[in-house]
Amino acid sequence: MTHGSSEQNDVPEKPVIITINGRPCRAGKGETVLAVAIREGIPVPHLCHEESLAPYGACRLCLVEAGKPGKTEMTTACTLKAADGLEVITDTPQIVKHRSILFELYLAEAPKSEVIKEMAARYGVTKTRFLKKMETDDPLSEKCVLCGLCVRVCNEIMGAGAINFINRGPYTVVNTPFLEPSADCYGCGACVKVCPTHAVVMEEAGSERVMRSWSGTRVPLAACSCCGMYYAPRELAARTLAALDPHLDQDLAGLCPACRGKRIAEREILARQGGAGNHA
Amino acid sequence: MRIESEAGLRTLQAAGIQKLKPKQPRIAVGLATCGAAVGGRKVYESLREAIDRAGADIDLVTVGCIGYCREEPLVNITIPQKPLVILHRVSEADADEIVHSVMDDQVPEDKALCRVPSWDHVTGVVMQYGKGFANIPLYEDVPFFAPQRKVILRNAGFINPEEISEYFAIGGYAAAWKALHGMQPEAIIAEVEKSGLRGRGGAGFPTGLKWRITRDAPGGTDKYLICNGDEGDPGAYMNRNEMESDPHMLIEGMIIGAYAMGLKNGLIYIRSEYPLAIERLGTAIRQAREYGLLGDNIMGTGFSFDIRITRGAGAFVCGESTALVASIEGRTGRPHPRPPRLTDPEGGLFKKPSDLNNVETWCNVPAIVANGSGWYAALGAANNTGTKVFSLVGKVDRVGLVEVPLGTTITTIVFDAGNGGANGKKVKAVQTGGPSGGCIPLRLFDTPVDFESLNRAGTIMGSGGIVVMDEDTDMVDIARYFTGFATGESCGKCVPCREGLKHTLLLINRIQAGKATGKDLAILQEVCETIAATSLCGLGQTAPNPVLTTLSYFREEYEAKVRP
Repeated sequence: MTHGSSEQNDVPEKPVIITINGRPCRAGKGETVLAVAIREGIPVPHLCHEESLAPYGACRLCLVEAGKPGKTEMTTACTLKAADGLEVITDTPQIVKHRSILFELYLAEAPKSEVIKEMAARYGVTKTRFLKKMETDDPLSEKCVLCGLCVRVCNEIMGAGAINFINRGPYTVVNTPFLEPSADCYGCGACVKVCPTHAVVMEEAGSERVMRSWSGTRVPLAACSCCGMYYAPRELAARTLAALDPHLDQDLAGLCPACRGKRIAEREILARQGGAGNHA
Repeated sequence: MRIESEAGLRTLQAAGIQKLKPKQPRIAVGLATCGAAVGGRKVYESLREAIDRAGADIDLVTVGCIGYCREEPLVNITIPQKPLVILHRVSEADADEIVHSVMDDQVPEDKALCRVPSWDHVTGVVMQYGKGFANIPLYEDVPFFAPQRKVILRNAGFINPEEISEYFAIGGYAAAWKALHGMQPEAIIAEVEKSGLRGRGGAGFPTGLKWRITRDAPGGTDKYLICNGDEGDPGAYMNRNEMESDPHMLIEGMIIGAYAMGLKNGLIYIRSEYPLAIERLGTAIRQAREYGLLGDNIMGTGFSFDIRITRGAGAFVCGESTALVASIEGRTGRPHPRPPRLTDPEGGLFKKPSDLNNVETWCNVPAIVANGSGWYAALGAANNTGTKVFSLVGKVDRVGLVEVPLGTTITTIVFDAGNGGANGKKVKAVQTGGPSGGCIPLRLFDTPVDFESLNRAGTIMGSGGIVVMDEDTDMVDIARYFTGFATGESCGKCVPCREGLKHTLLLINRIQAGKATGKDLAILQEVCETIAATSLCGLGQTAPNPVLTTLSYFREEYEAKVRP
């Protein structure tokens, strides 16, 4: 409360300065400590952070010691807003100790994930003392760490809500409702893109995209009206085109990106040839 | 029917007293869930039949529970000009004998637990019953009751929770009248602050301060006041009894709170596992609306406030504030990091600033308003004022609800009220605070039960569950039980709680199977410390407490089970 009011009295553009490991860093208003650290190239491990999504605080790897001198506490950098004068340390002995245990837990939870192995190794953890998870036919290839990024992009960004968490506690998994193919999935692949451990997989099978991790959901693809190549999920393409303002010309709408480029170039050339005088 | 004058309220009170102390004798059967579970309903039915058979002019009613679980079913008998007598361990077979005695203005003395010549209902009425029955022990001489001080359970077991008139009889809603007609909202908040009342859900946050923050938050009257009735600790059932035995006490507290905070939306979040509490609260809310105590223009003051009930869907973690809000909004009950807190506009229910207090916290409010903050602050200990209800369960001789001033020692609760171990066994430890709490060994039983002292001993007060362990209890098994509970109730969002607790359970199972080594003990300790230090919400942060405290106080039991 008091902080907000004092900031309001300040000149609006006054930059916020925080120190990370003794290094002064500029921070934007409302920026999180993790975002500042990433921009400054200061290594802070993280799995559940994505710039376009609200802070989530689930992976617990970005723990830092932060506060005013003499009054600090351990907290997650992704949920901590930068405030002027904030001092942050990324690797106290306590953090190193807890982070190592967390990495051991991750190694046991996602034993097939090379990303986790490499990340843990960077912080000196190469093996786990915990029992490794063994699962046959895991649709997420024994690589999922339940960071929730796929669920959050699907719900918050795409508005599809095709997947979500199922069960709770150690039985939690991510999948479609009732483990049935989803009619809500656009096949956009945002979940594949954001997955930090490459656990979510999809593949193209002819005229369809198969979301292998999501109960075999199949999404029809649109074929290019010129070259015949399948270039995007049909419904997603239609939705995206409908949302464009101004609208795309009708003769461009059914083309794949490559053919569309060609068509636009052709038009441009024709226009130049036909009306050079006008353009000179 | 609407109460719009003080005289009107007094008329209703007088009518209520006629029910509590009728001209004819009254028999009241303790029928909270606990009483029903040991056959109370059958006792009630057989008493009904016996009265009908004898053609006797006797009132038969249902009351809540006075909290002496071991002695149930309990039956109260009120004969004009005689003390109220509490009969214990009553069975269906006793019905005719009881009815015939009562017809002769007597009670079956061999079944009598105690007599109550007068009872202080705390909110302004001391009910005078009468003299006689000298052979029956006085209430205050019963060892289970002797150390107790009933403030929250002031009416439990005496009044019919389904009859608002009996709540009027004991001075009910007089505190609300006083607050709404005679006090400025600011003055009420100041009183609650001065009383020192702290949140009874476990965190011990100053209630008055939380009210003030909510009142000062932007949003006008369109904010929420929520009562947390999602009591879920194994072995804890204080809130259940408070809601089942005296629902109007909760509603009155909420009305006063709503007026003090200046808001109009009230909500009770209650777990579906409490069907009787839901039913009785629903009845109480309907009755309160009929009398103009809820709804528009309460008591003719122009102030409007109403309460709805929302049922939980079976997740322990939904007692955590942010998960509770998610659950009410229809989302998955998973906590999110705080801030934003519920009192912040962006963190509250439906994005409105919201105040959340435990059932028992609300129950204290009418007593504070009726008697003043000074009276309340004199109860209990410094910085830990008032009384607290504890559910004393496990391997203890006298199982039941014990209400004592804060600062009372564990010894008083377990030995004076509880009479030590059941079947003459030696008590070894107590577990307080449910799965979030820890075990305290016998040598630390001088610890006063208050928020800070219990923290120093490595446990927490929590909502008030006290589970007693005796010499036969395997402390590793206790740790396993609570870890299993917490693992099953973890929401699964953050890795230390989800994965860490799972491995904690696996490690303890390994120890119990005789397959563990000293190395496993070290891993157990390490992983538990990390879960406590790095989990997202209170559930994970406190879930390792049963393991960490047993590792610290009963390490030899672990060591005896591991190979070197």
